[in-house]
Parts: sequence; C-alpha cells; structure tokens
Amino acid sequence: MLVLPADKVISTFTASGSLRVDSDIAAKFKSGDSVVVRTMHSSGHTRLPRYLRGKRGVIHMDHGVFGLPDSKAHGQGERLQHVYNVRFAAGELWGRAYAFERDSVHVDMWDDYLEPV
Amino acid sequence: MDGIHDLGGMHGFGRIDPETDEPRFHAEWERRMFGLMMAAFATGIFNVDEFRHAIECMAPAEYLTTSYYEHWLHSLEQVMLEKGEISRAELELSWSKAAEGLA
Repeated sequence: MLVLPADKVISTFTASGSLRVDSDIAAKFKSGDSVVVRTMHSSGHTRLPRYLRGKRGVIHMDHGVFGLPDSKAHGQGERLQHVYNVRFAAGELWGRAYAFERDSVHVDMWDDYLEPV
Repeated sequence: MDGIHDLGGMHGFGRIDPETDEPRFHAEWERRMFGLMMAAFATGIFNVDEFRHAIECMAPAEYLTTSYYEHWLHSLEQVMLEKGEISRAELELSWSKAAEGLA
C-alpha cells in the first residue's frame, strides 16, 4: 500500500492544486456563445446539477482543459476537454416571476454537458 | 446520478444561517477524519471524482441525517473497499472495536 511519509506532508499539501492539463484540444465554444445544457439522466457521477438540464446560458470564460469527472469517477479515463464558466439568467432557471432580472448563476461546465443553441 | 445530494433549487431545508466565528472542526474526530482522508488521498489510490461519487451513493435518508465529515467517512470506507485496500471483515472489526470503546 502506498503511504504519505511524515516529511512529505507539508510539501504535498502546499503544492499547486489545479487539475488543469496543458493540451491543445480544441474548444467547442468561446466566450459569448449561447449554449443549451444537455438533458442526461446518467446513473453515474456528474458535475452537472439537475436544475440546469435543458437551460440556456452564455459562455462567460474558458477555464482550459480538464478531465471529465463523469468518466474519471468510474475508471474510464480522463476524456480531456474544455471547461467553461457559463452564465445563466436567474429567470431562465427559476422563472421570471420568481427571480430578479439582474441576478444570474455562474456554473462551471464541461464541453460534454453543452450543445450550441 | 439523480441522487439526494443534488439539492440545488430545492425548498424546505430552512434558511442558511452561517455560524459566527465558525471553528475549523466541531469535534476532535472531525480533525482526525480530515487528516485520514488527506493522507489517503495523497497516495493516489482514488481520485476526487470517485470520492464524491461514493458520497452520492449513500442511502438518501442517511445522507440527509449525517454530517459533512460523516459523509467523508462513508466515502473513505467505500473507496477503500472498492479498491481492495481493506476488506469487509477488517472494516466490521474496526466498527465493533469502536463500539466497544463507546460502551
């Protein structure tokens, strides 16, 4: 069994924690693009919250390339792809009558979760 | 998965009421749980997505009635079982030892 020796604890937990990968994999979207979130009821792991399925948003920024949690959680490899911060108008999510017009929700989304509008 | 963990947008859980001067840990066992998880995670035996999925797979009623670090304990037990690092018998033995300690 692998172990974490006492003299490696500090260096291990003060090292950079980003899982971003250097890769030239093409992004499917760019800032400002309108997107719609895929509807998927996978029984496995996902970082896609249920309340976003089928909702429309706008790409706010591109975080770069990361492994796909839906795949990594099940030993199915990294499936590297871009992750974006996506902005959703509160009214799109909760209904215009139940949200302030100026409010929005920002969620980090993997390429596989999104389709072009 | 469409599990109980996916609470976003749900009603009925009451207002969010942050503690003032919240301590890092509310009990000594939480501090130990944190250290145990971090030491296990640093070995690379499992990844963060496997860790999160094991929490999602908790029985819904148990998920809602246990605390944050109890979720961590459940997950660590499950991933260590799944990876073959511990056996069911070893885990049950440690539970009975813990129960004796409480008796």
